[in-house]
Amino acid sequence: MQSRHPTPGSQTSLREANRARIVESLKRHGHLTQVELAGATGLSAATISNIVKELSGAGVVNTAATSRSGRRAVEVTLARRQGLVAGLHISKRHLRVAISDVDRTVVAENHLPLAVDHRYDRELDRAALLIGDMVEALDASLSDLLVLGMALPHPTDPATGIISTPGLMRGWDGVAIADSMSERIQLPVFADTEANLGGLAELRSGAARGFTSSVYIRVGYSIGGSLLINGSPYRGGSGRAGEVGHVMIDPHGPLCACGNRGCLEVFAGGPALLELFRGDPGIHRLRDLLLRAEAGDSRAGRAIADAGRHIGAAAATVSTLFDPELVVIGGEMAEAGELLLAPLRHELERATIGAHAPDVVTGTLGDRAAVLGCLAAAIDNVGAEWKPQLR
Amino acid sequence: MTSTEFDGAGTMNEAQSRTEEKPMIQASPAATTQPTVQPTVQSTVQPLVSMTGISKNFGAIRALTGVDLEVYPGEVVALVGDNGAGKSTLVKILAGVFKPDGGSISLSGTPVIISNTAEAYDLGIATVFQDLALCDNLDVVSNLWLGRELNVRGVLDHVGMETRSWALLRELSARIPSVRARVSTLSGGQRQTVAIARSLIGEPTIVILDEPTAALGVGAAAEVLNLIERLRERGLGVIVISHNIADVQAVSDRIVVLRLGRNNGHFHTDDVTNEIVISAITGASDYSR
Repeated sequence: MQSRHPTPGSQTSLREANRARIVESLKRHGHLTQVELAGATGLSAATISNIVKELSGAGVVNTAATSRSGRRAVEVTLARRQGLVAGLHISKRHLRVAISDVDRTVVAENHLPLAVDHRYDRELDRAALLIGDMVEALDASLSDLLVLGMALPHPTDPATGIISTPGLMRGWDGVAIADSMSERIQLPVFADTEANLGGLAELRSGAARGFTSSVYIRVGYSIGGSLLINGSPYRGGSGRAGEVGHVMIDPHGPLCACGNRGCLEVFAGGPALLELFRGDPGIHRLRDLLLRAEAGDSRAGRAIADAGRHIGAAAATVSTLFDPELVVIGGEMAEAGELLLAPLRHELERATIGAHAPDVVTGTLGDRAAVLGCLAAAIDNVGAEWKPQLR
Repeated sequence: MTSTEFDGAGTMNEAQSRTEEKPMIQASPAATTQPTVQPTVQSTVQPLVSMTGISKNFGAIRALTGVDLEVYPGEVVALVGDNGAGKSTLVKILAGVFKPDGGSISLSGTPVIISNTAEAYDLGIATVFQDLALCDNLDVVSNLWLGRELNVRGVLDHVGMETRSWALLRELSARIPSVRARVSTLSGGQRQTVAIARSLIGEPTIVILDEPTAALGVGAAAEVLNLIERLRERGLGVIVISHNIADVQAVSDRIVVLRLGRNNGHFHTDDVTNEIVISAITGASDYSR
């Protein structure tokens, strides 16, 4: 009897697993030479060469002669399917859209500022139109898009697709966001938090590349985090893992929108920092605050340093529990650099168990991390089964 | 009053005394319940423009009555209101098109009288009107430098103008295919970008944009909104007239509402919902003073 899958442990199954590994690596890195493929998959050069020949014969990959450090090499790319993927990052004050082909080459990018407390219907409509515009500008049509990856500031419930903690995103509560977007654009939509996707991007091609355990903390108008364990973000039981912004750092602190008291976000989130400068006509955005601090304003510098200390305290809790090798800071506030990181590091070292604190660095992908993560997640999900959560 | 905790007592006293002298932003009678701007920390920064008590009559029609408007450096102020509320009249007074019948204008603390558009331009006030006023038959460079062409000993400096045009457009992250493209071949968003770039040639301190996103598609509107952010980062004062409340809330720092020629509300963008702004525009709620 011929089963669909070969017997486990057999030669055939091994070969199939190796083939899958090669395709997987190409999906992640876009294009690699055979030597790099050997490094990425851990397979021998001979195996790679055989499998690549076979895959190329089957039309799954393309090969091209190239050179690496002066030596001849064979570059392998996934055969370009007539397909594009889109990434949509909706944050508290910005909307960012990118379109890439399935080889991870970003072909179009756009962003626009959003109002405080934006609403889901208007922004999703606008995003759908914008994606349509951008695809058209590429001489393609919406039907060339395969998948949309979407990043949101807060976790959605995996069962329903609704923001899991009501109140954190007014205007987006009670809506199955991925489904709603999917209806507008007629594509499978995969949604995750901006921290998870930003983390994923930093892990694949940014600061966290090569680390088996790291933590990504996104500090901006909201604070989110992602626990990057063994190559992917850990999502927990209800998708809420890593919400660093809602770690309690002062049990007597002010109330938070999430319903708890004294969360990190109430002390170090964007709105909390800007509240300190209310009435100052020169500071309305986090960027103004950063510019002011860079120019040597002591109040602005102190506000950022205090935020760093608070984040350090929360990061210490995370480090003690997860013992990551690296903490990557991203988001709008990461641009503050050492102004934010030095106090953060100090507090982290002070409060982590055994004073064995992980390294702290800023992300290398900046503001684009989340949208690049959207694209990466979308490419991972090309051809994956997708069904609307609520129908 | 959280911010006062972080201030020395001296700053606070200074703030109070300044507020008494000349209320920069007058609180409405029911200020405690209304989300109007509360001056808590008064910065020492001078407003770029301060228009106070501006009135304007056209014959028997009172277009403006005692209108105030202030813009600080690096700030985007949205001027909103229904049709006929006086928004355009107010900015035209600032641009030197109309002379006010009453009230005063000061620029960076110095009282000025703006009697014509050339004077406004010399004072660093640039305006991009709704119709853009571009010459369709000329290319981007010629449009940018029209009337202010650079010359070397009486000969037009084409190279200089072109390089400076590129530098300016790049600084604004503008998506213009070529500076030698005729304006008639550009899209709506690109034309708006050229018009805004042209206003920056004279190194202004204040830029007035009249309905910059009207009649633009989503992509082009996004471009213009990003451009407004760039202007803000350059430390310019920007006045935006718009009917699109969502765009206004996305890019502005303060919202000034006009209704029937009077101020009807003055909000910090972060504090208000669009319902409040709309109720101020329509007169459903009265924030006048």
